[in-house]
Amino acid sequence: MKRIFVASSIGLCALLLAPIQACTNLDETPPSAISPGNFFRTEGEVLAALAGVYAQLRGTVDDYYNLSEISTDEMVVPTRGSDWYDNGTWLETHRQQWSAASPATNSFMNGAWNTLYAGVARANGVLDGIKKATTPIPNQAIMEAEAKTLRAFFYYQLMDLFGGVPVATESPVGSDSAIVPRPRVTRAALFTFIETELLAARTALPVSWDAGFNGRLTKGAVDAILANMYINARVFTKDAAGGTGINATGYNSCTGITVAGGLDACQAAINRADSVIASGQYSLANPYATAFNADNGTSPENIFVIKFAHESGLGLNFVMRALHYNQYTPGPWNGFSATSQAYLQFDTLRDDRAKVFLRGPQVNVETGAPVEDRSHNPLVFTVTINNVASATEGEGSRVYKWPADPKHVAQDNGNDFAWFRLAEMYLIRAEALNEQAPGGAPALADLNFVRARAFNPDVPRAAIDHAAILQERLFEFTGEGKRRQDLIRFGLYTAPFEFKATAAPDYKVIMPIPQAQIDANPLITQNSGY
Amino acid sequence: MRFVRLAVPTFALLLATTTPLAAQNGTIRGQVTDSTTKQALQGVTVRIDALSREAQTGTDGSYSLDVPAGTHVVRATRIGFGPVQQSVTVTAGVPTEANFALAPQASLLEAVVVTGYGTTRREAVTGAVSTIDPAAANVGVKTNVDQMVQGRAAGVEIIQNNGEPGAGSQILIRGGSSISNTNDPLYVIDGVPVVNVPTEPSSYGVGGTPALPRNPLNLLNPADIASITILKDASSTAIYGSRAANGVVLIETKKGNKTGGPTIEFDAYVAAANPAKRLDLTTASEYRTFVEDQNALFIADSTACPQAPVDTLKACVGRADGLDSKHLSSLGSANTDWEREVTRTAFTQNYDVSFSGGGDETRYRASLNYMNQPGVAIANGLERLQGSLNVGHSAFDNKLRFNVNGTMSRIENTYITFENTGGFEGGVFQNVAIFNPTQPIMATDSTGVTHYYEVTGSTSVRNPVALAKQISDRGTTSRIIANASAEYDVATGLTAHVTIGGDHSGASRQLYYPNDNPVGQALGGGLARQYDLDNTTATIQTLMTYNRPFGENNTLDVLGGYEYTKFNNNLFMAEGKGYVTDAFSFNNLGAAKTRNDSSKATDWRLVSFLSRANLGFKDKYFLTAILRYDGSSKFAVGNKWAAFPGLSASWRLSGEDFMSGSPFSDLRLRLGWGRQGNPGIAPYQSLVTYEGGAGANYPWGDAPSTGVIPTGNGNPNLKWEQTDQYNVGLDFGFSGNRIAGSMEYYVKNTSDLLLNVQVPPPAFSSTSLQNVGKLKNSGYELSLDWLAMSKPSLTWRTGLVFATQSNKVEDLGPYTFLLSGQVSGQGQSDQWSQRLLKGQPLGTFYGPVFVGVDANGKQQFRCTAATSGCTNGLTTGGLGPNSADYAIIGNANPDWTLGLTNQLTKGKFNLSFLIRAAVGLDVFNNTALVYSTKSNALQDKNFLKDALTDPTGLHEPAIYSSRWVENGSFVRLQNITLEYNLDLPMLTRNARSARVYVSGDNLVTLTGYSGLDPEVYASAGLASRGVDYLSYPRPRLITGGVRLAF
Repeated sequence: MKRIFVASSIGLCALLLAPIQACTNLDETPPSAISPGNFFRTEGEVLAALAGVYAQLRGTVDDYYNLSEISTDEMVVPTRGSDWYDNGTWLETHRQQWSAASPATNSFMNGAWNTLYAGVARANGVLDGIKKATTPIPNQAIMEAEAKTLRAFFYYQLMDLFGGVPVATESPVGSDSAIVPRPRVTRAALFTFIETELLAARTALPVSWDAGFNGRLTKGAVDAILANMYINARVFTKDAAGGTGINATGYNSCTGITVAGGLDACQAAINRADSVIASGQYSLANPYATAFNADNGTSPENIFVIKFAHESGLGLNFVMRALHYNQYTPGPWNGFSATSQAYLQFDTLRDDRAKVFLRGPQVNVETGAPVEDRSHNPLVFTVTINNVASATEGEGSRVYKWPADPKHVAQDNGNDFAWFRLAEMYLIRAEALNEQAPGGAPALADLNFVRARAFNPDVPRAAIDHAAILQERLFEFTGEGKRRQDLIRFGLYTAPFEFKATAAPDYKVIMPIPQAQIDANPLITQNSGY
Repeated sequence: MRFVRLAVPTFALLLATTTPLAAQNGTIRGQVTDSTTKQALQGVTVRIDALSREAQTGTDGSYSLDVPAGTHVVRATRIGFGPVQQSVTVTAGVPTEANFALAPQASLLEAVVVTGYGTTRREAVTGAVSTIDPAAANVGVKTNVDQMVQGRAAGVEIIQNNGEPGAGSQILIRGGSSISNTNDPLYVIDGVPVVNVPTEPSSYGVGGTPALPRNPLNLLNPADIASITILKDASSTAIYGSRAANGVVLIETKKGNKTGGPTIEFDAYVAAANPAKRLDLTTASEYRTFVEDQNALFIADSTACPQAPVDTLKACVGRADGLDSKHLSSLGSANTDWEREVTRTAFTQNYDVSFSGGGDETRYRASLNYMNQPGVAIANGLERLQGSLNVGHSAFDNKLRFNVNGTMSRIENTYITFENTGGFEGGVFQNVAIFNPTQPIMATDSTGVTHYYEVTGSTSVRNPVALAKQISDRGTTSRIIANASAEYDVATGLTAHVTIGGDHSGASRQLYYPNDNPVGQALGGGLARQYDLDNTTATIQTLMTYNRPFGENNTLDVLGGYEYTKFNNNLFMAEGKGYVTDAFSFNNLGAAKTRNDSSKATDWRLVSFLSRANLGFKDKYFLTAILRYDGSSKFAVGNKWAAFPGLSASWRLSGEDFMSGSPFSDLRLRLGWGRQGNPGIAPYQSLVTYEGGAGANYPWGDAPSTGVIPTGNGNPNLKWEQTDQYNVGLDFGFSGNRIAGSMEYYVKNTSDLLLNVQVPPPAFSSTSLQNVGKLKNSGYELSLDWLAMSKPSLTWRTGLVFATQSNKVEDLGPYTFLLSGQVSGQGQSDQWSQRLLKGQPLGTFYGPVFVGVDANGKQQFRCTAATSGCTNGLTTGGLGPNSADYAIIGNANPDWTLGLTNQLTKGKFNLSFLIRAAVGLDVFNNTALVYSTKSNALQDKNFLKDALTDPTGLHEPAIYSSRWVENGSFVRLQNITLEYNLDLPMLTRNARSARVYVSGDNLVTLTGYSGLDPEVYASAGLASRGVDYLSYPRPRLITGGVRLAF
């Protein structure tokens, strides 16, 4: 009886909703999404997925970038009235007061971790997809090399912030086995993994791309990442500060660290910088500002950039973070300010690079018309900030290195952001040469070569030492997300600086693993000190 | 009738036909009266259960039933009266008279209870069920069924999101069982479950999340509702299985009545609405005085800039105390009360016409409703045109019964821009709070053109009147909810049922942010959007029921069925940006400089096999067993199917001999257990999917290349949330059931909670929807009805519903806590007011403990000495609170809630009122946190008047703390209605009844809460409760209406 009833019920369903299997079939096929199982069959499909991995690079100028700037002597986000209080996260970051579960860690460190690992997962997804393709895909080797290089770059930023992190090279597609807790590897092992991956990918990558693919990865991009890793080799191979680990209060030299091919890291850094410089693909952009303008996509100095476009969701939004509410449309956020400690080091009269700062009476950056603050006083950016916890609208000079794109769409500007440009190769080579022969002429020549671009007439440095190198890097790379890494290498990260009255403990040279990540993965151990 | 003609052959074909019976019929007729007042009773159901035949009494209390010859048990029932039954012997061809006199009793004891896939006698109910009398609840302005339930059912907490016409609501039946999933109950209209999702696409949030959607149930006219039944415990809801974890609301619409010929009813009302409370902002003159005083302070402050005349020295600006002279010059000469300018007295009109009647075989009812409800804020409202048609037909001597229901409605919603959780740009209400009151609404420029005044150069303060009037935002929904059913008595007691239900809504949303308005300008020189959203649900139900008495007073009632539901959703959006003129509005997207579009489609299916057995033994012992087997496409392969059982029993103690002579006229004990699910998740979450879109694109060579990205991890183990509920209930009646009530105690354990948890990397998305966590709800409920007086001169009924509810997070998977209750406003990023903590309820406020304000105007917080900047347990030196010192600072859940109804009838007057109360809840006054800060004046922004007398310094940021968590206990006079029964036949012979009434909604609220209203809901994160942020003001309404029947 029951069976007849069930059968006739379903029969009725079938009559009204043919075909018959619809009546108990619960399979899911999303109408407006695709499944990885039936993708990755053509070059176009793989390239589309690869674009998705590149797209994740945009996330690196958020939390990773902010931590690299705000936690240093270069930038601060003052609380202005109620604005930018934000649960105290910005001042906590600047004062290096974070702990494993404090607001800044929950927000910025956790955000950086998730963003960078999402990049790793996307790269893994593409690599798995290509692997499963039944017929060979044109240019497969190049696209694999790009995916591996991008993955290595995301791991590189994770290594920079957190030390050794869990490493996975397979994608979470298809089975849940890929989303499994994995233990951390040592920072040195992660360093070697990234180095090996980059060296392998390098062989498949081209030296350059034609204009239509400008911005895709090249041999030069791999060399630049490696050069940077080698100069930071002492920091990047240590899991903690103190003892034989990272020297939080002194210079961490690349000498004495052995890297691939048995090379000393300093020599390896020189080799990689040489390789870029000698490739003939790059030259310093002149004047300096052209490396950052809205049309900087074709800047000859670009080695590894994040491409931005003046389209909704695809643009750079640095103008929003720094500019005053009334200086641009839509209204910016009046947040990030340069410290006077950073600004006052510049030779503001002669150094072309000091022009990236906005200070004094302000205009609307689009119209050039003078602007007022919200109290209808003329807007004036002061160099000093009287009280960082209760600042006024105009306090603090601003880094305005990537000027507004005339074709911007709302907050989306087309200026590209370079993680590596040629000037850094010279400065890395200068620094490494200086380790091999302190104060030597070749090192000084590289330093002055970069410096020469910014001065007319030239004002070369007479001598080179650690302080000169660090300062030149500040002048050259202000606002480019390099300061945290530099200060740690030079042993000055935890030292007191403006708006951070006392030295932070040494262990802060490595960020805490956010508590949420430890909760989710019991195999993860916290960095020492936290 | 075309429907019926089409339906008959269709159904006849589907169901096995059988030989029609030769009719040997007689008639039973008579009158039903009230045994105390001796007045005729209208609306009494006279029913012969064995024949599934019934009639309703007309205005004169008379009824008529055609029946076969023989002896029949005839039962007369009506809400508020004790049922009476008698045996009537009918001779063929001869009318037999049977009169009934019903004794009034507590109205709680409704004789027949809708239980889902059928009805049950009240005595046989084994689960926890609340019923609501729609006639009593449909007073004042009721736009949807949710508003009718508020305060009238124990353990059902309904909070309207805001005061917008037809605003959506948050409904928690027994506290809600989920953290990230929906806590909405399942709505079943005329036996067909409704997928209650927003029918209109959501609006555009300028720098914040847009206002919450309006209530999808606005599409159903409250005047068409015949009964509302709420199934609360698992043993009664288990029949709805996977969708029942949050309770079930069964709605039956009105049907035609075959007695007394056609009836035409006409109802009309007009209501006037005003905002019930104002924000209490600083007025223009107070603001002026404040700025002048602060300027005097600035000039007197010689410490900041001792060398120069301070008010001219730039370096001192903002450094010295007080406000510099520029603030004086930015004072305008106007006196604008922005709150008054954006609010108004709004007049609602509502008209209902219905026409019903029928004969022995066919019954019909048709109705038409028009409602126009403008909001108490300007430039928004709701306009509804709705029609419904119900036709029932019986054939083959009532062995085959058809019913077709259709509700067709069209709603035009006009919206103003306001945010739910506010961002930086804000909407109308944020700008009401901050826009300088010394500035005018309109200004005339040098060329003589008059336009809305906007602060020049400013990009974050907007003229709120201009926002409301210049920005167009319109949503239009057309919805058809229709179902057709057929029942056929296969054999005595065995009936086959087939129901086909269709629910389709097609909606558009049209937005235009003009160039004329600075918001529109900033969005890209005029922004227009057109959306199209299409939701379709198709349901098929086939049921077999077997219903048979056996032995002496024993009954058996078995049901088995199959149900199939398919839901499709299709969204399309097109956008244009950059217009040379505002004249096109949203009507010419092609004229835009840049265009953008997107679309998305989803679908899911639910397949169920259900069965239930009710066993009654000696009319004293009742047992109900339910088993439902549900399959949902949303879950992972291997986890798509689950069984949902329910088991309950009741014992009618008052039927036992040992109880004779006790004071109880009725006493029943009920026990129940059941298991339910909650499938309220989005589909495809068990799969890894790739999607395109702007976020996936990458501009190699400066031209965007199309990309695809994975959109989620996909959980291949995804399964149902599972709720186990235990219920103990006691129903009682005293003094001939003139006092009746029920007490309930329940425990609800939800496990396998669906939470988006952080997963170990690398993963496509940092979180994955997983089954982790446990939640426990428990509570007591009491419903009481008392027929306090019943005399011909005066009837007085009073009812009480009371509930306590406590919930506790028992397990949160890998998390030590989850953040919730996002704080809105400037400088509040990354600030959360609540934490989900193990061992604590949902809605636990967590943050710094405020101690006071020091001599320098700095807020001080409790701290532990171990942290820097902490002296004697107080934060010092102007340092903000340390997150290590955060503590539990409140609980958004009430200790108890109460609803009290009263109904007095004296002569031709009828007075009723509803009082609601909630006690022991905390509310976070996010509005006060952000807007009662004087530092707003630094940017020439207004603030709440409270800040004038507050010692907090001018430069102090708004810091979330216990200071802003207030007691939200309240008592509210929800509605009071006075009705007068006109003797209209003296004027016109046609009217059978004519009543006029006047009604007041939300007239009085007693509360210590300082904000607009302590009843708040803002979807501010996971299971957030009790966060009050600049909501649309709630109205106070006075309604006058007339009800006529011809």
